[in-house]
Amino acid sequence: MKISCEGRERIFLDGSTEEWKALEEHAASCPVCAEEVRAWKQLSAAAAELRNYREAPALWARIESSLRERQNAPVRGRFWRHLDLWPRLSQSWQMALAGAMVLVLGVSGSYLYTHRTPANSPDATAKLLKSSALAEVERTEREYTTAIDKLAADAGPQLNSETPLMANYREKLMVLDSAIAELRAQAGENPSNAHLRYQLLAMYQEKQQTLEEVLEIKR
Amino acid sequence: MGSVGLTLPWEHRISGAVRTGERRVEPSESRMETEQVAAEPSQDAAVASACLSGNLQGYEQLYRWQGTRMKNLARNLLGSPTDAEDAVQETFLKIQRSIASFRGQSSFVTWSFRILVNTCHDLRRARLRRKVQATEDVESLLPGSVPRATVSHPSLRMALERALERLTAHQREVFLLYEVEGFRHAEIAGMLEISETASKNTLFQAKRNLRALLEPPRSAGAGGAR
Ligand SMILES: [Zn+2]
Repeated sequence: MKISCEGRERIFLDGSTEEWKALEEHAASCPVCAEEVRAWKQLSAAAAELRNYREAPALWARIESSLRERQNAPVRGRFWRHLDLWPRLSQSWQMALAGAMVLVLGVSGSYLYTHRTPANSPDATAKLLKSSALAEVERTEREYTTAIDKLAADAGPQLNSETPLMANYREKLMVLDSAIAELRAQAGENPSNAHLRYQLLAMYQEKQQTLEEVLEIKR
Repeated sequence: MGSVGLTLPWEHRISGAVRTGERRVEPSESRMETEQVAAEPSQDAAVASACLSGNLQGYEQLYRWQGTRMKNLARNLLGSPTDAEDAVQETFLKIQRSIASFRGQSSFVTWSFRILVNTCHDLRRARLRRKVQATEDVESLLPGSVPRATVSHPSLRMALERALERLTAHQREVFLLYEVEGFRHAEIAGMLEISETASKNTLFQAKRNLRALLEPPRSAGAGGAR
């Protein structure tokens, strides 16, 4: 393989092993390329200066105890802590998420109230969705996920841009995704639990709105 | 959390796709690979599945396997060992919090480093804001001119650190992930949610800029780079 000075930068970018070999052969008789290759390699060598893999003795203990503390917290409260344990999630978003939850829980409450037969006791069984309502909820969930998949694909390039705003949106979406995953797991074990299903719908709705906001910014 | 079956959804994808295409191409002898680089797909899946089942030993395995590397990256991104430890701790908490959303589109290590990079991003931003609020004298914190250095110079590390500060966040991240931590472009692409080509281009720009910042100006004429 024959290499000229013009090929050098491209090889720096993504040359194959063979091309590197050819470049170094060329550099043996070309002082300009020799200097460039030397400087380029020197940066990789210098990077080794930034490696310090010494153990931090107390770090794991510290991490472990905070993981354990989080893990032992009751499941019921876990979602709410998703909100307040994200210090960098802006206050307004925390409010928005919390607001969405309150609203949807309120709506689901009244839904349950009006759809409850008088014979039902107000215990846990009252919170179970009847099969017709369950089918309806499941249909809505499917609609949401379809819409969200499409939005997520459209918003992808915008979301990946390196602005602080988009970093915040990414973080918010991550919170929502983890809340959705958690609720889905719980709902999977307990499909007709109305509470869970409505929480899940609220999260889908919030995610959809968030993605729509991202697309709005683009325009 | 639901039970985790024996067959994890990402197992197939990992064993099939991971590290088949890209091989790190090095300017011959120039670099020593860090030994953690070639992550065993099976180890990756085992750690992920332990974490998914809520087993704290899974997190400990991840820490023993990648902890020092995580802290090293965080220290280079944040400039302080204390901040780096905070970032690693916060990353583990975020992993725990969002583990159920891990779908295995990338390896577990890649996914964890993505969280780490984002966490460092936010810490940097928060710290910068604090600095601006605390003092108007920000200028004094930024290097007016970067000291020149060569490999043999003892202050090379400091010079490199200061030069890295002057790159864009993306360039800094790609340089550190590739040149210091030994990740491949395919892995970096997954962590930073960019394409492999973008990762290669960014590394190229980062090295060009670093070179300009670190080399004495006399070589400006000798380059003939374009
Ligand atoms: Zn030449």
